[in-house]
Amino acid sequence: MSTAIGSKNVKSDNKLVTASLILGGVVIAAMMIFGILMLFAQGGVINVSDAAFYQFLTIHGTGMIGAAALAAAGVMWYFLGKYVELSKKVFIWFLALVLVGVVLVVIGVFSFEYASAWTFLYPLPAISANAWGVTGALLYLFGMLILGTGFLLLYIDTGRAIIKNYGSLGKGLGWDVLSGKKRVEDAPPKAVVASTMVTIVNVTALIAGAAVLIMNIINVINPSFTFDPMLAKNLTYAFGHIFANAIIYMAVIVVYELLPKYAKRPWAVTKLFLVAWTMSTVFTLLIYTHHMLMDFSMPKWMLIMGQALSYANGIPVLVVTAYGALMVVHKSGIKWDMASGLAFMSMLGWTIGAIPAIVDATIVVNHVMHNTKWVPGHFHMYMGLGAVVMLFSFMYYLAKIDSNVQETKLDKFAFWCYTIAMMAISIQFLVSGALSTPRRWAIHYPGWMTPAVFGAIAGVFLVIATTIFIIHFLRYVKNRGTLGSDLHEEKAA
Amino acid sequence: MKRSFIIGSLIFLILIIPPIRIYMESMMIIHMLVQLPLLIVVGWCIGEYIENKYPKLFELINGNGVSGIIIFVAITMFWMLPRTLDEALTFPIYEIFKFISLPLAGFLLKDSWRKIKAFGRIFIYLNYLSMFGLMGWLYLDSPIQICNNYLLEQQKTLGWGFIFITALMVLYVLQSVFTDQSEEE
Repeated sequence: MSTAIGSKNVKSDNKLVTASLILGGVVIAAMMIFGILMLFAQGGVINVSDAAFYQFLTIHGTGMIGAAALAAAGVMWYFLGKYVELSKKVFIWFLALVLVGVVLVVIGVFSFEYASAWTFLYPLPAISANAWGVTGALLYLFGMLILGTGFLLLYIDTGRAIIKNYGSLGKGLGWDVLSGKKRVEDAPPKAVVASTMVTIVNVTALIAGAAVLIMNIINVINPSFTFDPMLAKNLTYAFGHIFANAIIYMAVIVVYELLPKYAKRPWAVTKLFLVAWTMSTVFTLLIYTHHMLMDFSMPKWMLIMGQALSYANGIPVLVVTAYGALMVVHKSGIKWDMASGLAFMSMLGWTIGAIPAIVDATIVVNHVMHNTKWVPGHFHMYMGLGAVVMLFSFMYYLAKIDSNVQETKLDKFAFWCYTIAMMAISIQFLVSGALSTPRRWAIHYPGWMTPAVFGAIAGVFLVIATTIFIIHFLRYVKNRGTLGSDLHEEKAA
Repeated sequence: MKRSFIIGSLIFLILIIPPIRIYMESMMIIHMLVQLPLLIVVGWCIGEYIENKYPKLFELINGNGVSGIIIFVAITMFWMLPRTLDEALTFPIYEIFKFISLPLAGFLLKDSWRKIKAFGRIFIYLNYLSMFGLMGWLYLDSPIQICNNYLLEQQKTLGWGFIFITALMVLYVLQSVFTDQSEEE
C-alpha cells in the first residue's frame, strides 16, 4: 500500500507544480514589497495615505496566505501523487480558479479601494464609512469565494484519491495501524498521512468559509439582512485560522520526503507519528477559538479549550517532526545544499515561531498582547521562517532532481540573507509587541517607529534573497528535464 | 421503469390537489422542505422513464451531465430564495413555474447524477451542505420578517429545519469518509 506508484508523466506533473510554485513565489515576493512599504510608513520614513495603508494591509495578508497556500498545495500534490492517483485536470482547474480569484481580489482592493484586511470580519465589508463601496467588497468577497472553490476542488480530489487507495480517510491517517489491524510497516507514508490531515481540516475550513463569505455578500448587497456577529467571527476564523495553519502541514511534506534521501537514512512512520497527526487534525480544527479570547460573550468552555488545545497543538506534530528531523540528520554525514539546508532551517522557524503563539494563546496574556504587533511577530516567524522556507526548499529540490542547474555562491548568500532578514523582521514585530505597539495601525507614535524602520530595512534584504531564490527556480524552469540528481527515483526508473 | 413513472405522476397529482397544496404551503417549513423536494422527487421518478425512452436526446443535450447539474443548481437556488417562496403564494404564474421547474430539476438531476461521476457528486454535495447551513443561519438569525406570507416564528422553524438537514449531511459525510470504502468494491 505504501509503495510509490509509478509516476506516469513526471515532466508534465512537474510543469503543473512549477506553475503553482512560480505563481506562489512571485506573489510572495511582491507581497513582501507591500510589507516593506507599510513598515516604512509606520516608521515615518515615507508618506502613505491611510486608505492606501489599509489596502496594502489587505493585499499583503490575502496575497501571502493565498500564495503560500497555492505553492504548498503544489508541494503536497507533487508528493501525494507518488502514492495515489490524482487528477491533472482538477489541478488545472484549481490553478485557473485561484488565478481568477486573485485577479478579482486585486481589482477589488486597488481599483475599488477595498480594505477590510484579509480577515473580512463581519460586518466590516458592508460598513466601511465610505472607505470603499459595494463593488469593491463584492469583488473581494467573490474573489475569495472563487479562490476557495479552487482549493475545495483540489481537496475533494485528494480526499477521493486517498479513499480510493487506502479505503477511508481514517486509514489515510493510519487508524487501522493504531487499532492493531495492520502492521506499522504497512502504515501509509508520511506524505499520505499529512495530506489526509490537510484534506480533512481544509474541507471543513472551506465549507465554513463559503458560508461566511456568502453571508457577507448577502449583507453587502442588502444590509437589512443581518447576522449574529459572534457566529460570523467564529466561522471566519474557523476558515481563516485553519486554512492558514494548514499551509505548513502541506509544506512539511517536503521535509519528510527530502531529509531521509539526503541523509540516506529511513524516516519510518511510527505509531507515535500517527497519533501525533491524528491529534493535530483534531486540535487544528478546534484551536481557532484562541482568536476569540477577548470576546466576553463566547462560552467560557470554548475559551478554555482554545488555550488548552493551543498549548497541546504545538506538541504532537511539531515535536515529532522536529525531533524526527534531528534524529535523521544527526551524525548522518548529510551533504548540505540549498534544499536540505532550507528544509532543516524551516524546522527551526516552525519550532521557535510557534512559541510566541503559545504565549499569546494564554488568556491573561492574550488580553494584553493580542492586538499588538506580538502576533505578527509570531506568524512572520512561523510562516516566513517555517512554511515559506519549506516551499523554497522544494524549489531547490525540484531544480536539483530535474535539471542540471547548479547552485552558486549567490544562492548561499541568499540563504543566510533570507534567514537573518526574516529573523530580524520577526524580532522587530515581537519587540514592538513588547512595547505595546498596536497592530494594524497606519500611524505610529514616535516611540513605536524605530523597530518598524528596522523591519523595513530587513525587508529589503528579504526581497533580495527571495528574488535570488526565484531566479534560481526560473533558471530550472528554463532548463527543465535536463539531467538532474539521482535523488529522483521516478526519473531513474 | 413504468412503475417509477406512475409513482412520480401519482405524487405530482397528489401535490397539486388544492387542499393538499394549500395546506403544505401554509407552513413555511413544509413548503420549503417537503413540497419542494417532493416536486424534485417527481422529476427524478418520471425522468427515469423518459431517459430510457429517449436516451439519444439526453446524450445530445446533457452528455457529460455538467449542463444538467448547472441548471439543477440554478433552479434549486432560485427556489431557496425567500422572495421566490413568497411570490409563489402571491402570483399564480410563479406557482405554475414552481410546479414545472422543480420536476424539471429532479429530472435533470437524475440524468446528471451518474454522469458527473464521484468527483462532481462530492462537489455538488459539499456545495449544498454549506448552502443549507447558510440558509439555516439566514432564516434563524434574520431579525426581520423575510416573507410577507410567513411570520417570524415560521421563519425560525424553517431555519432549524435547514440546520437539521445540514447536521444530517455532515454525519453522512463523516460516515462515508471514515468507513472503509474499499471493502464495498
